[in-house]
Amino acid sequence: MEAIIVEDLHKTFRLSHERIGSLKALALSFRRATYEDIHALKGVSFSVEPGETVAIVGRNGSGKSTLLGIMSRVYRPTSGKVVMNGRVSGLLELGAGFHPDLTGIENIYLDGSILGLSRREIRKRFDAIVSFAEMEQFIDAPLRMYSSGMVMRLGFSLAVQVDPDILLVDEVLAVGDESFQQKCYEKVREFQRLGKTILFVSHDLKVVRDVATRAIWLDSGSIQRDGDVESVLEAYVESTRSGAPDAK
Amino acid sequence: MLKDLAEVVRYRELLLNLVVRDLKVRYKSSVLGFFWSLTNPLLQVATITIVFKFIMKVTIPNYSAYVLCAFLPWTFFQMSVLDSATSVLFHSHMVKKTYFPREILPASIVLSNLVHFILALGVFFIYLKLYLRTDILITWLLLPVVVFIQLLLNTGVAFFVSCLNVFYNDIKYVATVVLSLLFYLTPIIYLAEQIVYSGRVPAAYKPLVVGIYNVNPLSFLVTAYRKLLLPGYNAAGIHDIPLNYWYLALAGLTSLLIFIAGYAFFNSKKWYFAERV
Repeated sequence: MEAIIVEDLHKTFRLSHERIGSLKALALSFRRATYEDIHALKGVSFSVEPGETVAIVGRNGSGKSTLLGIMSRVYRPTSGKVVMNGRVSGLLELGAGFHPDLTGIENIYLDGSILGLSRREIRKRFDAIVSFAEMEQFIDAPLRMYSSGMVMRLGFSLAVQVDPDILLVDEVLAVGDESFQQKCYEKVREFQRLGKTILFVSHDLKVVRDVATRAIWLDSGSIQRDGDVESVLEAYVESTRSGAPDAK
Repeated sequence: MLKDLAEVVRYRELLLNLVVRDLKVRYKSSVLGFFWSLTNPLLQVATITIVFKFIMKVTIPNYSAYVLCAFLPWTFFQMSVLDSATSVLFHSHMVKKTYFPREILPASIVLSNLVHFILALGVFFIYLKLYLRTDILITWLLLPVVVFIQLLLNTGVAFFVSCLNVFYNDIKYVATVVLSLLFYLTPIIYLAEQIVYSGRVPAAYKPLVVGIYNVNPLSFLVTAYRKLLLPGYNAAGIHDIPLNYWYLALAGLTSLLIFIAGYAFFNSKKWYFAERV
């Protein structure tokens, strides 16, 4: 059974030129507002086997984050279907639920519950979360005392402790200093060894070559190329050089 | 809708954590800490007593108790609506980046205000026993029923307001204006009986006016709190009208319908929040 099935996925965002964001604007708009439909995804289909590590590459605005957003259920697709078989952890942003006035401990429980962990599961993983983030000293201090790197470390450490079957990562692997990044990649390798499915977005082609087992090149909302890392990256790099990214 | 509710139950720890966070954050940064939640209703008790006893010189005995008894549930309603209006926008970073049932945001606001309300009721009971020395009434047992009905009403309205405010961000100002009018239209600083016995309302319109007050769940609920918690009052020209349990049942039904309508409306829009906030 596939870990991820994406079938003919479309997503259209409606962008209005005079954005009506208030009742006042609604009352004052004599003519109908002009809309522009942005087709972020135009019929994307692929499937991922369990244990694959898939890198999604593409220019800014190619639909990578929209795709990840739909897979982690932040957006609803306009049409098409996404099936995820297994527990999903979406790392679109680290520590999305953190609050600056609460202590590290309190934030672990709060953000953990956003990630879908129960209080008992968090308690069981608590020591591992704190020690992975190298935070033993500061964990009972309020978050606003932390440096931004410390907040990121805590967020990452919490997210990998969810123990997902499928990990979705959006450009967040590059957190912390050199040694913490090393730990992050080791964690990713450990996930790979455990046969988990990883799908990540990255602009860092070196990371893609190091980690991914397969790459998908997305451009203006559709898949340009899907296959082994080297050939996809070669085509992608070629297109950015020639300045004709739409060329098939 | 039942599927959505089941999802909320699955995410109940997040709901609980958000309520606890809301309470913690509110009290953590204040010097008085948790006792601030008790000081606020105490100050309200004191102010209302002084105003109605010494400035307005109302002849009905212990009038301030009747005002306060309606004022506390009113505050619960008002704060639930106003705080929830901005709840989705306030958590936009979560809405944009993570999956969770969106209705948890306004629901957690209403629940944390429920905690304040219950604390304030505690202060109110102490005031009743120590200052007014009222007897314990058997009708106090019905209090949880009325609180639950109001919880449904507040949550239903909170769903409407929080959802609309995502798309029209001046809804919170509209809500502020409507609430300030509603404060005077709801029997809080006056008694529902004063409408019934008023000589100013033409007899032909009286059934309509009184009917509106009885059918409107908010005005009926604040009156119900008075009837259940305080003894009846009799003063010149005003006779106590006992609580009509049929109307209480009606208020329960109306509140349930408002809850269902608000939830259905919220659900129809909640997966577009991430695109708008």
